[in-house]
Amino acid sequence: MTETQISIQNLNVTYNGNRALKNISVEIPKKQITAIIGPSGCGKSTMLKCMNRLIDMTDNVTFSGKIIIDNEDVFDKKTDIINIRKKLGLLAQKPTPLPMSIYENVAFGPRIHGVKKKPVLDETVQRCLTITGLWEEVKDRLNSPASQLSIGQQQRLCLARGLAVEPEIILCDEPTSALDPVSSQHIEQQLLKLKKDYTIVIVTHNIHQAMRLADYVIHLYLGELVEHGPANDVFENPKEERTRAYINGTMLSDLKIDKEVDLKGNICPYNFVLAKQALHELSKGNVLKLVVDDPLAVTEVPRGMEADGHKIMSVKQINKTDWEIVIQKKE
Amino acid sequence: MEFRRIEESIFKALMILSLVFVVGSLLFVVGVILWRGLPVLSFDMVTKTGEGGYLLGKGGGILNAIIGSLYLAAGGTILAFFLSIAIAFYLQKEYSGGTRLSGLTRLSLDILWGTPSIVYGAFGYIVLIYFHIRASLLGGIIVLALLEIPIMTRAMEEVLKMVPGDLKETAYSLGATRFETTLKVVGKQALPGLLTGVLMAFGRGIGDAASILFTAGYTDRIPGSLFDATASLPIAIFSQLSTPLPQVQQKAYASAVILLIIVLAISIITRLLAKKYTRFIIK
Repeated sequence: MTETQISIQNLNVTYNGNRALKNISVEIPKKQITAIIGPSGCGKSTMLKCMNRLIDMTDNVTFSGKIIIDNEDVFDKKTDIINIRKKLGLLAQKPTPLPMSIYENVAFGPRIHGVKKKPVLDETVQRCLTITGLWEEVKDRLNSPASQLSIGQQQRLCLARGLAVEPEIILCDEPTSALDPVSSQHIEQQLLKLKKDYTIVIVTHNIHQAMRLADYVIHLYLGELVEHGPANDVFENPKEERTRAYINGTMLSDLKIDKEVDLKGNICPYNFVLAKQALHELSKGNVLKLVVDDPLAVTEVPRGMEADGHKIMSVKQINKTDWEIVIQKKE
Repeated sequence: MEFRRIEESIFKALMILSLVFVVGSLLFVVGVILWRGLPVLSFDMVTKTGEGGYLLGKGGGILNAIIGSLYLAAGGTILAFFLSIAIAFYLQKEYSGGTRLSGLTRLSLDILWGTPSIVYGAFGYIVLIYFHIRASLLGGIIVLALLEIPIMTRAMEEVLKMVPGDLKETAYSLGATRFETTLKVVGKQALPGLLTGVLMAFGRGIGDAASILFTAGYTDRIPGSLFDATASLPIAIFSQLSTPLPQVQQKAYASAVILLIIVLAISIITRLLAKKYTRFIIK
């Protein structure tokens, strides 16, 4: 078993009376990538914000429990928050360059932590930009504003800026959700390289990303810790039904759709009858995708299908008028 | 369908009309001042102080008022800046926590903004009398600072409020203290807006006559110390216009041209400065 970097004990967080995290206890291994997965609003980002105490910036929030990093409790009043934050780099969801030049962005961290010598700063800037693969792209315009970079470059700059503080841990809050696929891939590759020197905690609602990156997985659902363990175990053999459902549910995009029926222009209950006919022609366990534009059908068709014992895989709005309903025929 | 289109064009016409009205008024005012002031504007006016009996048609210029106004407005703006920036930062949620005191501060500032400047003048006058001080440059500067603080603070507060929370979080997550975050990140991001706030207040300060009427006094000399009385352009314009002599009245327009040029120059300089820093801000 590997060493533990962050030990979370009985963590509870309440926002405006709503419990965002309920009694979470989990250990995050050192020099591995730990993915926190779960649907939106389940407390993933809150958990990250607790680790670097950015939770302090939120109004009406109370928290209890312990988060131990290097024998120090993050929540302890005696703990120096500045020191904790120095240890934990953060890569936010949206790239957040600071209002200064590319060079100054990377030098910001070392500067506030007391590095004054220009040669040392120069070396740090070059090293961190090289690690994130940005050096070659920006070395000739280090003094131009960081906001002029592309979104993908900005995110890599943010990663470099975080590394310049020399953290032990990198927290990533859905770091690729604002990026295009190529930039996302870039960031992912860098995280994989960085894990030999850093402990990485990544929050993601992209299950594929978690599978590609994670060594350890924590599954949260509505503020509860559902399951945690080595990535292979959790993904291939989830102990909990909810984890299985989540993995399958978000994997739906890969699901083979056996038949697609366009029921636009049909009103209830005819669309239901047509859907049943379509389903009738399929064999057991096959998947049918319906497209409807009747608001009534959006609720009534899934309800009727479920009453007949079929499984509703997803119901989602695809544009202003149309909805997509995916049904799996009962076994 | 037709009605909607008519509605659209009516409102469009109204907007164009208001634009024409606003821009037209500005052009009209500037035009009249230039038309009446430029022919009278002479080299003597801007290089000489008033000789005895200037208002009675004797020679000299209004250099005393130009320098006086610059001293007053610059002094007032600098003084107001240090107080306003502190108040504006205090009013941010992370500092005052949105307490009742901050609400009260905001309310007072709004009331002060709406207070007529003659009230500031009268107030300053009472204070001067109480302390047995004569009308002086210092008195004028203090009263102008009081007049400018609400304008500057509210403008700055709005600018600071616009700084994205992400930026602050980023700075904190890198281990910056609250002071470093404020100075090096929030301050930098807000700098162009803060400069605009200063400019607005300066414009108000240099153009105000009522507040310094009793507190700064009037003299033909250029003030040598903070405790000397000083002339100012708005009051010079007022006094020149109030004389019965047409040739002195005309000089009031020339003085107005000078005031206009000063405000314009400061405005352009500020904008250039702001532009230099706008490059770096995050949109």
